[in-house]
Amino acid sequence: MTADVHVKAVEHRFNSFTALHRVDLQIAAGEFIVLLGPSGCGKTTLLSIIGGFLTPSEGQVLIGGRDMTHVAPKDRPTTTMFQDYALFPHMSLRDNVAFGLRMRGMAKAARNAKALEMLEMVGLADKAARRPHELSGGMRQRVALARALAVEPDVLLLDEPLGALDLKLRRQMQEELKAIQRRVGTTFVHVTHDQEEAMAIADRIVVMNHGRIEHCGTPEEVYLTPKTMFSADFMGETNRIPVSPAGAGVTSQLGLLAIAPAEGTLCLRPESIGLTGAFSLGRATLVEAAFYGSYHRCHFRPLAAPEMLLTAHLPQGEHPRPGAEVELFGRNPVVLAPVAKAAA
Amino acid sequence: MKYLSWAYLVALFGFILLPVVTLVIFSFQDGRLPVPPFKGVTFEWYAKILTDRAMMEALGNSLIVALLSPLVALTLGFLAASGLARVVLPGSVLMRGLLIAPMTVSYLIIALGLLQMFNQIGIRPSLLATGIGHVVINLPLCFAILYAAIGEHQKSALKAARDLGAREWQVLWFVAAPMLTPALAAAFFLAFTFSWDEFIIAFLLTRFDVTLPVEIWSMLRSGLSPATNAVGSLVFLVSVIVVVALELTLFRKGSK
Repeated sequence: MTADVHVKAVEHRFNSFTALHRVDLQIAAGEFIVLLGPSGCGKTTLLSIIGGFLTPSEGQVLIGGRDMTHVAPKDRPTTTMFQDYALFPHMSLRDNVAFGLRMRGMAKAARNAKALEMLEMVGLADKAARRPHELSGGMRQRVALARALAVEPDVLLLDEPLGALDLKLRRQMQEELKAIQRRVGTTFVHVTHDQEEAMAIADRIVVMNHGRIEHCGTPEEVYLTPKTMFSADFMGETNRIPVSPAGAGVTSQLGLLAIAPAEGTLCLRPESIGLTGAFSLGRATLVEAAFYGSYHRCHFRPLAAPEMLLTAHLPQGEHPRPGAEVELFGRNPVVLAPVAKAAA
Repeated sequence: MKYLSWAYLVALFGFILLPVVTLVIFSFQDGRLPVPPFKGVTFEWYAKILTDRAMMEALGNSLIVALLSPLVALTLGFLAASGLARVVLPGSVLMRGLLIAPMTVSYLIIALGLLQMFNQIGIRPSLLATGIGHVVINLPLCFAILYAAIGEHQKSALKAARDLGAREWQVLWFVAAPMLTPALAAAFFLAFTFSWDEFIIAFLLTRFDVTLPVEIWSMLRSGLSPATNAVGSLVFLVSVIVVVALELTLFRKGSK
C-alpha cells in the first residue's frame, strides 16, 4: 500500500542535454512530495524515471528498498496519473477503473466491486456506466485518480494533473487530493509548476531548477527560509537588499539594520515588511498602493535609498495614503550568502 | 448565378455518373448489343451471368482475395503503426518511408517483381500469389491510415495501459485496437475496394483460379454484350455497398 522511494545519484541525459545532474532524493513512505520548478527543470523527467518510463543514464531508483532502475512500468509498484488523464474512451468508467485489476487477473465480480468502491471514494459511483467523454474535466480527473489507486500502488505519481482545470476547481481538487492521500496512505509524488498548489498540498516541496534540487523542505521552510535565490524567487515575490556585516548588525543602503551579521542579500517577503516588526528598515514614502482584497499592495521609496523600491503587503485595516511618510519594519529576515548564489 | 451553379452541379454529376448509368441501363438491354437504341427491359443477361459457372467461380475468388488480403494487410499495418508510434528507433523515418514506398510504384512493376520472385521460390501463379500481391499494395495504405490515426491522445492511453500492468498484446487488443476502430474500418474497406477492383496483379499472378476483373476482361475479348454490362453493374453494386459502409463508419467517427 505504501513504500519509500530512494533516488540515488540519478543522472539523465537526452543526447547532449543533461536533464538531471546527480539528483539524490529520499521520500518517506506515505509522504506527499511535490516536485516544483519551471518548465524544463527536470521535474517531469525525474517523475518518469521513478515511474519507469525512462531509464536513467546513471544512478539508481529504489522503491521499498528494492532496486527498480531497470524494471518496466507494468512491473513496478507505481501508477501514474497523467496530465491529460489518458482515460480509455471506449470503456465505461467502471471498466476504466477496473482495467488494472483485470490485467492482474482479478475475477470480474471482484474487480467491478472494487471499481465501484473506488468510484465511490471520488464521488462518481452513480456514473459508473458512463463513458469518459460524457464527463467534465474535473470528473475525468477523479476517474483517473480512482483508476490509478484501484490497483493499490505503493507510490502514486501525479504529472501536473491539475494543470488543465480552472482555478476554483483546481483549489477544490487540491483539497480532495490531500484528503484522499491521507485516507489511503499511499506515497504521492506530484509534479507542478504552481508554487501555491505545491504549498497547499505538500508535506515536503522539492524545488528544482536546471536539473538540480535547489531546496527540499516543508512548505514553511521553503517559503520562509529559502536556501537559494532561485527558490526564494520561485516561491514568491521578494525584496532584495544587499547587506554586509557591521558590528552586531549589518549595513546596507538603508543604513544599519539590527539583524544577525552576515554578508549577502537580505530577502524579505512583501508580507514581512510592515508598520510594525522585529527590526527597523528606516523611514520611507509610499509611492502607490492598490487594494487586493485581503491586503494592500504598497510600493515604498526609502528616504535613505530613493533609487530602491520596496514592495509590502499591508493588512486590510491600514489605510496608507500615497505620499505619506512612515517608518517600515521587517520580520523573518533571510540573508543568502553570495557564495550560495554562485554555486547554484 | 444561382441557376448557373445548379446547372454546373448537374453537369458535374452527369459527367461523373453518366458512364455508369449507361452501363447499368444497357445491362437490361433486350437485344444482342449494349448500344442505343434501348429496346426494352430484360433480366436475361443477369440470369446468364448468375448461372455462368466460370463467372461465379471468379466472383467467389474475388471475394476470398478481397476479404482475406485486406485482413492480413490490416494486421501487419496495425502492428507496424503501433510499433513505430510507440518507440523512436534509429532510422524510424526510413522505416516509415520503406513501408509507404510501394504506394508510389505502379501495380505493373509490383506484379512483375512478384512474378519473378515467385518463380524463383516456387510459388505458382495462383489465388495465393494474387492475395500476397494485394497485401503488398494494401499494406502501405493500411499503415498510413493507422499511423496517422495514432495521435498523442492514443499514445498516452497506451502508456497508461502499460502503467496499469497490461502486457504488450493486451495493450494492443484491449486499448489500441478499440480506440482505432474507425481507422481500422476505413482502412479495411478501402483495402477491400482496391483488392476487389484490381486487375493487373490478378491478371499476371493467376492462371486458372482468376478473379472477377480478369474474367470480365477475357469476356470482353469475345466482343461486347449486355452480359458484360450486367457483370459490371454487379461489381459496381458491391463497390457502392462498401463505400456506403465506409461512409457510415467515418460518419460515426465524425459525430463522436
